[in-house]
Amino acid sequence: MNADIARLAARTLLGQRRTLLVVLLALVPVLVATVFRLAAGADADPGLFTARDLLAGLVVTTVLPLVTLIFATGAFGQDIEDGTIVYLLATPVPRREMVLTRVLVAWAAALVVLLPSTLLAGAIAIESADPAIVLGFLVGVAAGAFIYTAAFTWLSIATGRALVAGLLYVFLWEGTLSGLFSGIRFLSIRQYTNGIAGAFFDLPGDAWSPRLGPGTAFLLAALAAAFLLSLAVRRLERWQLGESA
Amino acid sequence: MPGPDARAGAIYDLGYRAYDGPRLGRAAAVLALYTFTLRGAFGIGRRTSAKVVPVTVTAFAYIPAIVQLGIAALLGSRIEIIAPWNYLGYSEVPVALFCAGVAPEIFGRDLRYRTLSLYFSRALQRTDYALAKTAAFVTALAVLTLGPLLLLAIGNGLASDDLPGYLADHWRELPQSLAAGLTIAFVAGCGSLAIAAHTPRRAYATVGVAAWFLITLPLAGILVAIGGEIGRFAAWFSPFDLLYGTALAIFGRTPGADSIQGRADLPLGTYPLLAAAHAAVAALLILRRFRQVQA
Repeated sequence: MNADIARLAARTLLGQRRTLLVVLLALVPVLVATVFRLAAGADADPGLFTARDLLAGLVVTTVLPLVTLIFATGAFGQDIEDGTIVYLLATPVPRREMVLTRVLVAWAAALVVLLPSTLLAGAIAIESADPAIVLGFLVGVAAGAFIYTAAFTWLSIATGRALVAGLLYVFLWEGTLSGLFSGIRFLSIRQYTNGIAGAFFDLPGDAWSPRLGPGTAFLLAALAAAFLLSLAVRRLERWQLGESA
Repeated sequence: MPGPDARAGAIYDLGYRAYDGPRLGRAAAVLALYTFTLRGAFGIGRRTSAKVVPVTVTAFAYIPAIVQLGIAALLGSRIEIIAPWNYLGYSEVPVALFCAGVAPEIFGRDLRYRTLSLYFSRALQRTDYALAKTAAFVTALAVLTLGPLLLLAIGNGLASDDLPGYLADHWRELPQSLAAGLTIAFVAGCGSLAIAAHTPRRAYATVGVAAWFLITLPLAGILVAIGGEIGRFAAWFSPFDLLYGTALAIFGRTPGADSIQGRADLPLGTYPLLAAAHAAVAALLILRRFRQVQA
């Protein structure tokens, strides 16, 4: 961690219109939960709705990746786009430290938005069902946000079109393709998130269950985080000035 | 009276010429802008890295059609899993990503680098600029929405054992495919350009367009499921649910019972109307933006 880099990164990430966009995204699940609380019929199952539709279906599939995508690609992407990355790289700070600091700041920024959104949406919709569902997804979202942040930070160092590349990964690979080829669940941050969340609660019957067991999910998540972080560090260590112009 | 000042300048003839060749005028300017925007949308004539995203995404939009034709070639054309009326269900993610990746490029550079004044100082007018660019993007998008439908229609015909009989039964699918593909391209294209035209920063435009397509999809699904009498109208405002309904209406199919259109139970004829309203609002927003923007 480097305090100066952390402070500057936090200022780039939070001081802009970007923040407004992210907050709007985070409000969507809260809104849906409120609608569910007000309008759902008597036969609705709040536990199942919270787990399957609200937290797994909306938060983990779209809100989580989009929020981390916006913050993580901003961490290096903006520096590279503006050409100010030169001044950062010219400092004697080790590049490993630059990457780790920025990943941690982007992760923290994402958590500041995602955790209240998950907690609030879950608390509104859960009613009398098992509160462990919300707890599970809080832990899952926190872990998933870290892996997504590491992945998108690496993308933002490696390519100029990190945003579109990230969208391709999230919606094509994790969305469409993983529905067709179920083996992709082992290579999908979304399934790691669901698997970790699933360790905390049990829904009756075959209503909804994560596609990865908790043990596998934890292990693969840790491996993916370490691998993506090392990729990002390696990419920045080999960064040549003038590369992105 | 003193003589002429020796230091006074003389005017030299530098040989500047006025252009007196043919002037192609407004129509040619519009056509040129259209062609070059269309080429730029797929990265033709640009560096390789600009081609990667549009070409990858376009390829993914064609895969379902190719898969269906493979099945038809091997097992006969009676097995129809991927049909023209449900094609959008398979290609919606590539279409959304094409819009998110390419739409910000259409107006983005001109807005960011203030090159609009260069366009508007020529025969091109503000409305012409907006219309030519919009038309080019809609055409580019039609490659993804209409192209696979035509491929399906033609390929299914060729794969059938009895081509004249197939044509007699299925000739309607060709004009229907044309109408559906063009409508989808027009509504999705105008909508994403309207978002992109109002957000000059590429990153925000990309996220905005992606959110318009891909957040509304699960959102409408949930609202239709739980929202009761009011929530079912959400199917009108999620672009892909709206366009899927429009395609069903054009092909004269009834939606499946567990599809969002089936559960929302809105009259199928309202989807094309709402789609037209979406496109009209989006087109007006684009035109208004370029009437007002500082060149």
